[in-house]
Amino acid sequence: MLTGTAELESFARGAPKLASFEGEAVTLPGMELLQVTYELGGVAPESPFPPALLPTLPVLAVLSVWRADSGPLGRFALAQLRLSCRSGARPRQLLVASFAEGDTARAALNERFAFGARKASVRLERFYDRVEGEVTVDGTSVLDVTALGPLPLAASDLQFFSSIHRADTPKGLRLVQIDTELTVTRGERAEPRMTHFSPAAFGMPKAKLAYPVAAFVALGDLTIPKVRFVSRADVLPHRGTERVS
Amino acid sequence: MRFGIFYELSVPRPFAPGVERTVYENALEQVRLADELGFDFVWAVEHHFLEEYSHCSAPELFLTACAMQTKRIRVGHGAVVCVPQMNHPIRIAERAAVLDILSGGRLEFGTARSSTWSELAGFEIDPDTTKQTWDETIRALPKMWTQERFSWQGTSFSSPERAILPKPVQKPHPPLWVTVTSPGTELDAADRGIGCLGVAAASFKEQERRTAEYHRRLQSCSPIGAVNDQVATLNFLYCHEDPAEAARTGLGMLGTFTQLNTQLLFTREAYPTRAYGSLANLAPAPARREGSPSDPTGVPEGMAIGDPDRIVRAIKEWESIGVDGVNFLLNAVEVIPQEKVLASLRLFAREVLPKFRGKGA
Repeated sequence: MLTGTAELESFARGAPKLASFEGEAVTLPGMELLQVTYELGGVAPESPFPPALLPTLPVLAVLSVWRADSGPLGRFALAQLRLSCRSGARPRQLLVASFAEGDTARAALNERFAFGARKASVRLERFYDRVEGEVTVDGTSVLDVTALGPLPLAASDLQFFSSIHRADTPKGLRLVQIDTELTVTRGERAEPRMTHFSPAAFGMPKAKLAYPVAAFVALGDLTIPKVRFVSRADVLPHRGTERVS
Repeated sequence: MRFGIFYELSVPRPFAPGVERTVYENALEQVRLADELGFDFVWAVEHHFLEEYSHCSAPELFLTACAMQTKRIRVGHGAVVCVPQMNHPIRIAERAAVLDILSGGRLEFGTARSSTWSELAGFEIDPDTTKQTWDETIRALPKMWTQERFSWQGTSFSSPERAILPKPVQKPHPPLWVTVTSPGTELDAADRGIGCLGVAAASFKEQERRTAEYHRRLQSCSPIGAVNDQVATLNFLYCHEDPAEAARTGLGMLGTFTQLNTQLLFTREAYPTRAYGSLANLAPAPARREGSPSDPTGVPEGMAIGDPDRIVRAIKEWESIGVDGVNFLLNAVEVIPQEKVLASLRLFAREVLPKFRGKGA
């Protein structure tokens, strides 16, 4: 049975600060979302995860780009890399790194939900035959991805899993469960095409996007509820999970 | 009621030299004993790449060994993945016929389409196409087994006229099954006149509904070959005279199996598609099921874990809702020592099995 082998000290290093678990929920209407999935290579499947989490076999590297043109956090765009895993028996995705454009939203997401998003230029643009996502940090491209040939699917055919964010909390290092809910009004599957991906910029210098899985693009309302559960990083969740609200 | 033993052939880490051989040898010893004790079936899955969970990638070879070491027990492919990139339909027919010959007509033939991303992507299979290729393959197989010469012009494979050889011993052909994980597959089985080989847990109520719907729909089926109208479910077996010991050991196996199951990456998790309607776990997730309030052992409802009386009661419940057979997993990554597995089989055969004989078995 493979469980995570990330050394806790290094896993904790740079964990975003979460000063309280009382951050307000937020609903972002009319969110555009591009999600591109590859099988992760270049590292052992268990190595990115703390002992509390189990890797899926294989691990999926899930790159998402969000764009909100309006809403409670104003106009913003966000890009993130998450890795597929299990918390107990439940499918989850561990947030590895994120970038955001839009200072108000970036501050809110970081303070309330420990996104740890760094400032960047994030673009999500829809064309007739493709959807493009791009992240640029200090003038350097770190992600340039395209979803080609979107084809409509039913909303129920798309799976969008809750995230786990590592955070430096009042209880110490914790894995924070972010139960993102996406209500899809339009969903399409597409073919992923990666033009550029900088693994180092996403905090995984040895990682490779080993095998393309799928891409999807969606339009919908995205809700991030108030944090309800956190768990320790060093023990399995049935021993280390607690309710915080 | 008929009873089978069911193998995933899970292998414990670390994968030290010899550990896979030990798992296979233990399984073969269990099969020989089950044959002597009067079990009806031995089933073996086909899985690829599923570390720990299942190292049973060539079940036809394992089942051939089973057939050659036993006299009576029927050998079940449970199930062959009917997708040409993994198994060309003609090779499926040929291998099955040989196994039926070598076993003296003891083959049961299960079919499936694979439900994990790991397996489908490993063979570069488009998940959207697997139901169609499964359907095409299972419609072709009876023709290959019964027609002197066979030709096919299809979507997933084609062949000019050829004699598919050898032919199976059983006439017109071995019983056909489909593995049922997702709700609704029992309807696919009924429409084609093939048996339901349950490989995922369902509550008594859900199984009763599925079984009734299967039998109702079977009445108006368009058979693809000889009709097989049996419904079998999957269960875990650990039988011990001491209920507490049975629960301790049996629940350990259950928990281990559930953990192994969670590391699989199901197609629907990875790939947006309507072709896989649910996560379709390959086996029971008993941790999600509650034990009966009246059962202090904590063993989930319907599980064949306990003393003989408890197991008899559980199986009678399955029998009462129309299930024809129960197949048992006996171990998971060898967490139960081999001698205990063998003792459990013997006790089951002595105390439980006789209660269900003489009822059309």
